Amino acid sequence: MKNSIKSLVVFISSLFLSFSAFAGGHAYTGPDLSGQKVVMFGPWLSPEQETMREVGAIFEKATGATFEYGGSDSFEQQVMIDLKAGSAADLVVFPQPGLAANAAAMGGLVPLGDDIKQMVLDNYAAGQSWIDLSTYADENGNEQFNAIFFRTNVKSLVWYSPDNFEDNGYEVPSSMEELMTLTEQMASDGNTPWCIGLGSGAATGWPATDWMEDIMLRTHSPDVYDMWVSNEMPFNDPRVLEAMDFFGSIALNDSYVNGGSKAVATTDFRDAPNGLFTSPAECMMHRQASFIPAFFPEGVEAGVDYDFFYFPAFAGKDLGTPVLGAGTLVAATNDNPATIEFMKFLMHPEPHEYWMAKGGFLTPHKGVDGSKYASDTFRKLGEILTGATTFRFDASDLMPGAIGAGTFWTGMVDYTNGKSAKDVADAIQDSWDAIK
Amino acid sequence: MKKISLSSILSQLLLLFFVIVWIIPTFGLFISSLRDKDLLAISGWWTALTTTEINEIYRMSGMETQIEEDGYFKIKGTLFEENSGKKIESFGINSKKINEFKIGDIAIFKDESEVILDEDGNYEWRSKSEFQKKKGKRLFTTSLSPPSFTFENYREVLFKEGIGRAFINTMAVALPSTLIPLIICSFFAYSLTWMRFYGRDTLLAIIIASLVVPLQMSLIPILTIYNDFGALFGVAAKSYPGVWMAHTGFGLASTTFLLRNFLKSLPNEMMEAAKVDGASHYDIFLRIIIPLSIPAFASIFILQFLWCWNDLLVGLVFLDQVPSEIILTAKLKELLGSRGENWEILTTGAFVSMTVPLFIFFALQRYFIRGLVAGSVKG
Repeated sequence: MKNSIKSLVVFISSLFLSFSAFAGGHAYTGPDLSGQKVVMFGPWLSPEQETMREVGAIFEKATGATFEYGGSDSFEQQVMIDLKAGSAADLVVFPQPGLAANAAAMGGLVPLGDDIKQMVLDNYAAGQSWIDLSTYADENGNEQFNAIFFRTNVKSLVWYSPDNFEDNGYEVPSSMEELMTLTEQMASDGNTPWCIGLGSGAATGWPATDWMEDIMLRTHSPDVYDMWVSNEMPFNDPRVLEAMDFFGSIALNDSYVNGGSKAVATTDFRDAPNGLFTSPAECMMHRQASFIPAFFPEGVEAGVDYDFFYFPAFAGKDLGTPVLGAGTLVAATNDNPATIEFMKFLMHPEPHEYWMAKGGFLTPHKGVDGSKYASDTFRKLGEILTGATTFRFDASDLMPGAIGAGTFWTGMVDYTNGKSAKDVADAIQDSWDAIK
Repeated sequence: MKKISLSSILSQLLLLFFVIVWIIPTFGLFISSLRDKDLLAISGWWTALTTTEINEIYRMSGMETQIEEDGYFKIKGTLFEENSGKKIESFGINSKKINEFKIGDIAIFKDESEVILDEDGNYEWRSKSEFQKKKGKRLFTTSLSPPSFTFENYREVLFKEGIGRAFINTMAVALPSTLIPLIICSFFAYSLTWMRFYGRDTLLAIIIASLVVPLQMSLIPILTIYNDFGALFGVAAKSYPGVWMAHTGFGLASTTFLLRNFLKSLPNEMMEAAKVDGASHYDIFLRIIIPLSIPAFASIFILQFLWCWNDLLVGLVFLDQVPSEIILTAKLKELLGSRGENWEILTTGAFVSMTVPLFIFFALQRYFIRGLVAGSVKG
């Protein structure tokens, strides 16, 4: 999987391509599947689940099959019960490749076959690297192409209110040093610099892993990052502890985070950004991936009420401008015709364009109409991507499920609750040794 | 006349205390579910009858609505929705000083445009030069809002958020899941009490022993069986009949045990007299046992029904989480995640889910108490 991460640098250009694609809509047409039913289960709740159902309605209309989507914020646990019992929904949306790999190793996923693989190669920019990321060993150890990426995102973003910045005379920082100076200045002005929320039901803790990954990419070379992901470098290496302590210098400082450090673990990640829009503002900045505007309060407008800047790199370190990204995968648990046809439907531009228009959706699909993006703000993401010198896939998503969707999350919650970086990292490494 | 002793007063006071402690959360939930969502977000339910101070940000209209009047370019509009009842106390034009101006003051922006605001939220924004921006500037208001109660939350929850559908789903799960074990356990308990056959005591011991097995242990094995069964007959593994069977299985041991204890307390002479008169077991069961056991049936019905109604785990595991099958508790949990910031939806949803247990409890409470002590006192 390591090579595939490296080849993902091409991902940058792939996303950019999708911004500049030609105008004109695409309409999906499919075979007649009347009377058949496809059920999908995933981690998306409102408002994403409504969008997914609307996307499914396009499929229903074209084929006559029925589509149902159900979401849960205990997705990671529930899907494992379902897979063990063999009763999972036809389609499963995995938020992380690591979890999908676990599911494949249990024999829970069906191989998708060469024609869908060819569609990914043809339609997705850097198709092979996407295929590498979704090819897993099955229960007999054979490598199988199991899933397709649908909905990708860029993580290295800081959201803010341009008006609040203007009122206070703050400038968008261009380096990490400037960002830290700005943070300090905000605190001394009596403002709270950051809103951080780690709460996410059973997945509580994941936003902190994104912080860790972004910091790792900014404090050490990409090779170190790859070694960290594969555990060639142990989790309790001093370089990882350094990154954790850097995160702690923000999250554990009561005057830097909204509600104080005690509130970090208990605030829901979906509520956290609301502090940008209160009167008076509860915080000035919020670091989160490109999907977060879906959770902003009703009525706020991109480019007017909020905007984003690139989570900057250290000017003093020669590490370029790294960008962190991730994506959700759709896998099938059985190969009935309607399910397989739905996978093919997801490779068609129409579902991508539909969701792009709803916002919070990036895609490596080359065939989509870039003008469908919800706003110029999302188009601006292209600039961040083309300016990147390093692209890396979300580390916790690539780690084995027990770590990346388990002890890494809970460890970060422990850390924000006051446990030392060393203890947290040791515990995570122990859990990793235990599954080797 | 009844004598009033100190200890009885004390125990009455203690009882009153516990009743209040029990009722306060429910009462708070009820008040919250009726409040306006903006007020609910910033103040507690105990302040529901007082005026609440709200800080808000509004954006004035942009250049498209400007008119030329008296040598000024003017943009007029209103910040609040109609009949909001809010009265502005003070306002600001800068996020750092949100209380800078009083009503009647003229606030001057950096670009020398001016704004005046009345307490109902009507503003007039004027400038010597033409407005150029599509979006207006922000106004920060501090206003007093009178108490406001609404049924809007209930309408939203029942019809828009899918709680109404989930309510029906839960009914579809809970009613059969209560009636099926009740029917089976009545026959079973009778045979365990009044029929003599080999291994009866062993069977009873096994049933009591199975009460100890936690249902969590059997989730995956049962789901696997369902799945094989579903594959064999071409039906869905997760379905309503599946949940009914699961609840029946999980509930049968305790319902049988409770009913058996009740039946055991019936006088032996009655059965013997019936037998002498030539009644078969079926006659005894139908003509004597059932009429006598109505209170026991009612109490078991309540216990099992409340259990199924409040259940989350079984519903999560044995049903798909899609709108046609999701149960109320699972739906509430989902809302907790996706609409965690919308308290009005959570409190209202919780209250909707409580209505049935509350109704059942008040309607059948005398049976409920009898059910709790069933078998504990030998009559």
